[in-house]
Amino acid sequence: MQRLLDFLYQQREIAVFIGLEILSAWLLINFNNRYNASFLNSSNEAAASITQTSNSISNYFQLSEVNQQLMLENERLQQELRMLRTEPSSYLDTVDQYQVVGARVINNTFERSANFITISAGRNDSIDVGMGVISSFGVVGQVKSVTNNFATIYSILHPKLLVSSKVKRTETKGTVQWEQEEYSRASLKYIPRHIKLKVGDTIVTSGFNSVFPENITIGVVDELNLEEHMTFYEAKVKLATDFTSLYQVFVIKDLLKQEKDSLAIQ
Amino acid sequence: MTRVSIKEQVLNFILLLLVQLPLVHRISLFDKAFGFFYVGFLILLPRTFSRSYLMLIGFFSGLLVDVFTNTPGIHASASVFILFIRNFWLRASNDDSQEITNLNVASLKKMGFLYFIYPLVFVHHFLIFVIENGGFHLFGTVLSKVFFSSLLSTAWIFIINFIITPNRKRS
Repeated sequence: MQRLLDFLYQQREIAVFIGLEILSAWLLINFNNRYNASFLNSSNEAAASITQTSNSISNYFQLSEVNQQLMLENERLQQELRMLRTEPSSYLDTVDQYQVVGARVINNTFERSANFITISAGRNDSIDVGMGVISSFGVVGQVKSVTNNFATIYSILHPKLLVSSKVKRTETKGTVQWEQEEYSRASLKYIPRHIKLKVGDTIVTSGFNSVFPENITIGVVDELNLEEHMTFYEAKVKLATDFTSLYQVFVIKDLLKQEKDSLAIQ
Repeated sequence: MTRVSIKEQVLNFILLLLVQLPLVHRISLFDKAFGFFYVGFLILLPRTFSRSYLMLIGFFSGLLVDVFTNTPGIHASASVFILFIRNFWLRASNDDSQEITNLNVASLKKMGFLYFIYPLVFVHHFLIFVIENGGFHLFGTVLSKVFFSSLLSTAWIFIINFIITPNRKRS
């Protein structure tokens, strides 16, 4: 009898073990899907405010670098402004279509197999799931989930994020996807072999979906491979955004998104 | 057999688990070593706790870390596994483990302590990086991450435990 009880006692522990592992697996499968509930994310209010506190301490040590970036951006904006003033108003409708919300990065990973960014702007700043995120240098990612004051973002360094893109010089459409290379590069896919792609070509967003506006820099082609039997190029893009020093991002709200999407359904 | 030292557990909880949360992405050496040293808190829970109880603590601690890393389930499953095998390993790695209640640098001796925690930390990190990677591709990169990260975590756990463990001998 004693033996039997001992045996059952042993089994009980194993049952707890298996139960907890199944629960973990369920969480892993369910919550790693795209766009999901936010309480198990880093944009969870409690978790995000802890991260924000620790971030605001470390921010003091990065001030000079942030200043440098802001100066560079100011320069670029000044230049663009001058261009806009000289050019006729063909730009205007795209300017009206997009609304830009600035946000501070409070958490950012880039060395993991799937990377996320947490920012300190959320539903209160009219940020919503699925919006595109850029930095002053180029594409950053897409909003995964939001709470009132924070949002979690799929970094472009996440293998599930596909960015519709085009070669700026030839207007060829393709897709940029990170295939777990090092954090400064991603793969450019579906560029057909009859296009004369070159190392050094700039890759920008295509504007075909309502996530990113057209012509936002993604990166520059820095490695090309085309063999006899291949239909598409095998190309690597050096990303324009430096994920190791990302402090400020801009969330892009497409005011015509609903209209565009409803057309796509019809 | 001595009583469970509450003070030691509370210090472990604060210095290993709570400190980890805001730091979970901030500690990285050469883009290779990450250090999930919260596992030290789990490994060093008192030997006398029942295994089911240990696994439940492990699950919720893991889940707490998961919230900060956006990886629900990964840290939780690895932590549960570690606590499932911990007592076997303690018995196998230490001859007089039955007399020890509080696991720390003093009770396990320095080398014994490292010999006890390093393999567990390694297995824990191995599980995390492999699950996160979603399989065995790029296995070399994953393995080097596991190796360096587990060294970093072990060093951190050792140092913290060395500081908080009182000097006089006790078990």
